Amino acid sequence: MTAAATDRAKTDKTAAPAAAPARRPRDLGWLGVPVTAAAGLAAFWLFPEDLGLLTRILATALYVLSLDLVLGYCGIATLGQAAMFGTGAYAAGIAAVHWIGDPLALLAVGGLAGGLIALLTGALILHARGLTLLMLTIAVTQIVQEVANKARDWTGGSDGLSGIDPAPLLGLFRFDMFGRTSYLFALAVLLAGLLVARRIVRSPFGLACRGVKEDPLRISAIGGSPKAYLVAMYAVAGVFAGVAGALTAVTSGIVGLDSASFSWSAEALVMLVLGGTGRLYGAVLGTVSFMGVHHILAASDPFHWMLFIGLFLMGVVLFLPGGILSGIERLGGLFRAKGGKA
Amino acid sequence: MATHLRTALFGAVFGLALGVGGASAATVKVGVIAPFSGPFAMVGKTFKEAIAVYQAENGKTVGGDTVEFIFKDLDQANPAQSKALAQELIVKEKVGYLAGFFFTPDALAVAPLIDEANIPAVIFNAATSAITEKSPRYVRTSFTLWQNTVPLAEHMARQGIKTVVTAVSDYGPGIDGETAFKTTFEKSGGKVVDTIRMPLKSNDFAPFMQRIKDSGAEAIYAFLPAGPTTLAFAKAFADNGLKEKGIKFFGPGDITQEPDLPALGDAALGITTTFNYSQAHDSAKNKAFLAKHKELFGSSDTVTFTSVGAYDGAHVIYQMIQKTGGKPDGLKAVDAVKGMSWESPRGPLTINPDSRHVTQTIYLRTVEKVDGKLQNTEQAAFADQPDYGYKVGK
Repeated sequence: MTAAATDRAKTDKTAAPAAAPARRPRDLGWLGVPVTAAAGLAAFWLFPEDLGLLTRILATALYVLSLDLVLGYCGIATLGQAAMFGTGAYAAGIAAVHWIGDPLALLAVGGLAGGLIALLTGALILHARGLTLLMLTIAVTQIVQEVANKARDWTGGSDGLSGIDPAPLLGLFRFDMFGRTSYLFALAVLLAGLLVARRIVRSPFGLACRGVKEDPLRISAIGGSPKAYLVAMYAVAGVFAGVAGALTAVTSGIVGLDSASFSWSAEALVMLVLGGTGRLYGAVLGTVSFMGVHHILAASDPFHWMLFIGLFLMGVVLFLPGGILSGIERLGGLFRAKGGKA
Repeated sequence: MATHLRTALFGAVFGLALGVGGASAATVKVGVIAPFSGPFAMVGKTFKEAIAVYQAENGKTVGGDTVEFIFKDLDQANPAQSKALAQELIVKEKVGYLAGFFFTPDALAVAPLIDEANIPAVIFNAATSAITEKSPRYVRTSFTLWQNTVPLAEHMARQGIKTVVTAVSDYGPGIDGETAFKTTFEKSGGKVVDTIRMPLKSNDFAPFMQRIKDSGAEAIYAFLPAGPTTLAFAKAFADNGLKEKGIKFFGPGDITQEPDLPALGDAALGITTTFNYSQAHDSAKNKAFLAKHKELFGSSDTVTFTSVGAYDGAHVIYQMIQKTGGKPDGLKAVDAVKGMSWESPRGPLTINPDSRHVTQTIYLRTVEKVDGKLQNTEQAAFADQPDYGYKVGK
């Protein structure tokens, strides 16, 4: 009786949000891409001297976005996203040093490598859940990092893989010292990534993934395979992370062991939680605010900035538990509620 | 069209900035990239303090130009961030010199930038030999593993040691040390009976100690990153009875650096190392350096190899500014200091014109307790040691 009642309640709950969020992000989403593009271009004109940092922010935003796809939309608790990022970065770096110069081809190589490693490891570990899964994702990252450390002839080991010198973009634009090409290139890639990610999470496949997150049993009951959905989304996110890694390799010209480190995974998680999970733009907002604040604090006081960034994070967690974007949405919701009642 | 205009504009602004930098009685900025927070914050602190000591001794102006150091924090090895910081320093802060660099990848990351901007980079630490091959604008005032290891291996062979086991952490510098040791020691007639590569993050060394015991070697050559791992290794060496058994412990001096000695404690007693600097180095220059440091910061206990790396690096930068009259030309500045010799707190230094790395005296030291405090007492000195690893290739 009670079970059935809760079940019915759950049905109602899942049915209602399934319709509601589909509508709300649609409004935000249409705004999101042009707003990101406009903000990105504005930053290009406003801070022409900070393009190095801004390029890193954009590439990182794409990486955090990939984490949002697995964590926010599938509920996969992972601390292993850096494995895909690192694999993509190293694959693109190695390809650039030995064979390919074209930046777009390098992104493809990175994406492919990231997707493959995600598919392989995802198929192996995604039967686990919760803490077990968390441990397994950490293990995968450690293995990738150790392989990169051991394969010194290919990756440069702890010295880093240097000598990545990509050809001009589209044969026209050289990657210059001021970082203008790098920045615009990264912005274009991030925007493309946002569009594709939006398309994916709104597709039947994306909705099925959200279904798995809400209730995997129900998905099996209606004939879907939760694990297959999870592995597929994990691989898709792997492609995103791999492209982000390749983008970092191309724009910075070097890949280090840090790109496949546990702390890089954890940092992505912090940025995502800061911005808000399951919202795509939360990833961008979280990355921009975290790295922006980090940069300003570290520049003003290179010796004690960590204390202040800790205070900043505590403030956000205390007052905006759903991330910065949830605060904005709550504000929007207030207005909408008033409008609806009137 | 618009692109051309913007390019021209950027060029003009940049050129103007450089021009202003070159005018007399201006400010020459030096960007220092190093860890100032996090687990390696001590390194940045020693850099900053050594620079302050140098400026206190030599003034803040060179030929009318004020020298200003700008510090950028890079808390761990992160080459992409290193490049972004260097880019910011060059484009926004208009620095004429880059300096610092604790980790090798962070130093390597700036090679394309310093070449394009024609700016010298003075490396205070990053110790992989290959770095200076990547750009003609690198100058290094620290040491390399080859530089420390070759004289040590030769010394051990001279001592009549025949069989040695190498035990190194499995990462770039460790492998460098192993290669340098094996090559030199076997050339000198000794035999490396076993080469052990230990996981970088391992803290349990008992199995490796057993392997060393079983190999029957007379001595070990060990290299691990400074800090807790070395501590655990030295303790395991004593606890597993290897010390009692009379197996001798040798290694490059990074493993017994001054700030770590109190933590290493008596387990470190008797470890013999070769290095470019010991706080206990007996010279007037070193005494003056330590006294000034104590006067400015209250204590000189943390003065170590990164301190002299930065101190001598600051000297090289001052000389570059003086010899180019403050004009921004990276290649000319580097050319101006090639072959330059001077007396440093660690002893006599010369910048090798080919490798742009310092040729220096390497000291053989043993950890001893003097007045209740552990120190690296110098036993012998090997003069004029170059970077043996330059262009060896890996």
